[in-house]
Amino acid sequence: MTIKLTFNNPDAHFVRRHTHGAFIILCALCLLSACVPVPVTNERAKLTPDQFAATTWDDVLTRARGTTVNFAMYAGDEQRNRYFQERVAATLKEKYEITLRLTPLNDTVEVVNRLLNEKGAGKTSGGAVDMIWINGENFRTAKQADVLWGAFADSLPNIKYYDAEARQRDFGTAIDGYEAPWQQAQFVLAYDTARTPSPPRSVEVLREWIKSHPGRFTYVAPPDFTGSVFLRHILYHFGGDARRFANNFDEKLYREASAPTIEYLNDIKPYLWRQGATYPATTRELDRLFVNNEVDFVFAYGASFASEKIRRGEYPPTVRTFLFDKGTIGNYNFLAIPFNSANTAGALVVINHLMSPEHLLEQTRTLGGVFPLSLAALSDEERRRVESLPRDEAVLPFDVLAAHRLPEADAEYLERLEKDWEAKVLRR
Amino acid sequence: MIALGGLTATPLLFLIVSSFARQWFFPAIAPREFSSRAWEYVASDSAGILSALWTSVVIALVVTSLAILIALPAARALALHEFKGKRVMTFLLLLPVIAPPLAATMGMHNLFLRYGLTDSLTGVVLVHLVPCVPYATLMLASSFANFDTDTEAQARTLGANFFNIWRYVTLPAIAPGLGVAASFAFLISWSQYLTTVFIGGGQVLTLPLILVGFQRSGDEAVTAALSLIFLLPTLIVFLFIARFIKHDYQIDL
Repeated sequence: MTIKLTFNNPDAHFVRRHTHGAFIILCALCLLSACVPVPVTNERAKLTPDQFAATTWDDVLTRARGTTVNFAMYAGDEQRNRYFQERVAATLKEKYEITLRLTPLNDTVEVVNRLLNEKGAGKTSGGAVDMIWINGENFRTAKQADVLWGAFADSLPNIKYYDAEARQRDFGTAIDGYEAPWQQAQFVLAYDTARTPSPPRSVEVLREWIKSHPGRFTYVAPPDFTGSVFLRHILYHFGGDARRFANNFDEKLYREASAPTIEYLNDIKPYLWRQGATYPATTRELDRLFVNNEVDFVFAYGASFASEKIRRGEYPPTVRTFLFDKGTIGNYNFLAIPFNSANTAGALVVINHLMSPEHLLEQTRTLGGVFPLSLAALSDEERRRVESLPRDEAVLPFDVLAAHRLPEADAEYLERLEKDWEAKVLRR
Repeated sequence: MIALGGLTATPLLFLIVSSFARQWFFPAIAPREFSSRAWEYVASDSAGILSALWTSVVIALVVTSLAILIALPAARALALHEFKGKRVMTFLLLLPVIAPPLAATMGMHNLFLRYGLTDSLTGVVLVHLVPCVPYATLMLASSFANFDTDTEAQARTLGANFFNIWRYVTLPAIAPGLGVAASFAFLISWSQYLTTVFIGGGQVLTLPLILVGFQRSGDEAVTAALSLIFLLPTLIVFLFIARFIKHDYQIDL
């Protein structure tokens, strides 16, 4: 009887044909999900900062052998991913028998938040991440919340290649060895030679240029990283010597320099893109405006950002970069170890390798950017190799960049200026 | 129908062109040059797209089947029975959909940490269930609302056992709703980003994780190529739903 009932119902026929096989497959998949990747923890590879201070580098190398290092790295760059996954991983395997596993990050703040939560929940060992690429605000948060492993950077063999400046402060936060310097970034401005024959090379000339080209300039709204650093260049311009801003926050200096800065920004505001009624919210939006010929300048941290975009066909080949005559802000970015890393020995070895002249020469040749090591610390042979690094026309020469590099300001200047900008420029 | 087709096809076409584009500047209608750079990268081993795709599919299928298993009895109870606290139960069921995602995810991460469920596939499956189960339940409940339990009683009178009643009476009646609920659960799991980032700890790599990275960095060609791959299962699921709707409402699609 029941069978008769089903034949009267076309839906049932359809469902019966399709669901049974599917159900079996789903059950199998349920079982499959039980096969969870179990991280291999090697007790020998887990050093405390005290143990690291007491032992030799050879001992660290031995402990790291045969381990896997999980590196949480920003992963939005195809060329960079490829280089690390293929070349760097192969070198680490060959030289140190270490397997490098990249865990892609879209924003370092994700991993910092996760570490804060892990700290709160008491997960003090067996963390999924062994090293992170970090700087600035994220470093300050991580250091204050004590989610970093410890002071290690000054004991790494390759720290000797970096300038003393690279070990002291990161956006005004004392480093104290909690992160190791890695790469250097410098603010550069880009323009299209086909549209703008001679770009304005100082804050004052820029003011004149903006007024004589209404609607052709804008900057990213702070607190975006790039928008914020643009404001700092104007602050430095009115504050005299840039070095005065690098150390602890000085209220008097801030008042002196910020008043003309705000005045400057309000002065150019009516001549900006859309009369300054709105600002691009991200660097990507400014990028689009530049590419679509709505504005004439785009800027970013990273000496070779324009060259990379030309290579990818995102910018016309006629784009070049320039600096302000008084210089532009440069900073370092760093590598740190989370407090609950399961493989601190491995992380130390990988970090030290990434800081080596051989690696950085190869990396700069492959990915571009600024060569971050102090030339004085290199051998003659290494220095020659740095000087012969290939450079296309959209990247400024290293010595020009170095001669125009200004230090980063204490983070408090950033915060105050961002707030004042919102209250006195955006909402005016 | 043609207008509707055009509406879906245009963004798709745009993505296809973008994924091959080089030097595409405003106001040009077409790119100046074409290149297969993005697709070469997507196909390369170091991009890890194939394994991310596989991880995404496995998670979404497991989540779908579990969500349906949980939602079936719940939906039936909500649709066919009156009980004390039903309104409260409905509210609680909807809570994960209403709560702000970031706050909810941070809270869940804390909870998952305590039980050692982070950085694993199991944890990611569980956290995906949180938004999937409410949707599946609500959709199944509307199917059950039109279901007449007397047909089950009838079958029982005619000698059908529990399994036969389910297979020949209940299941056929709710099948269209079941299909749509399963498709929704699949798509919700498929597009999870924030929960996967937190609970997966970067150890469980799904397609949205890789896609968002390129989208944020502004690499338009790779983003377009990945978006197309990301869309593929969505289209398959759409055809699947269309089939169920066709059976239910006799529309030609």
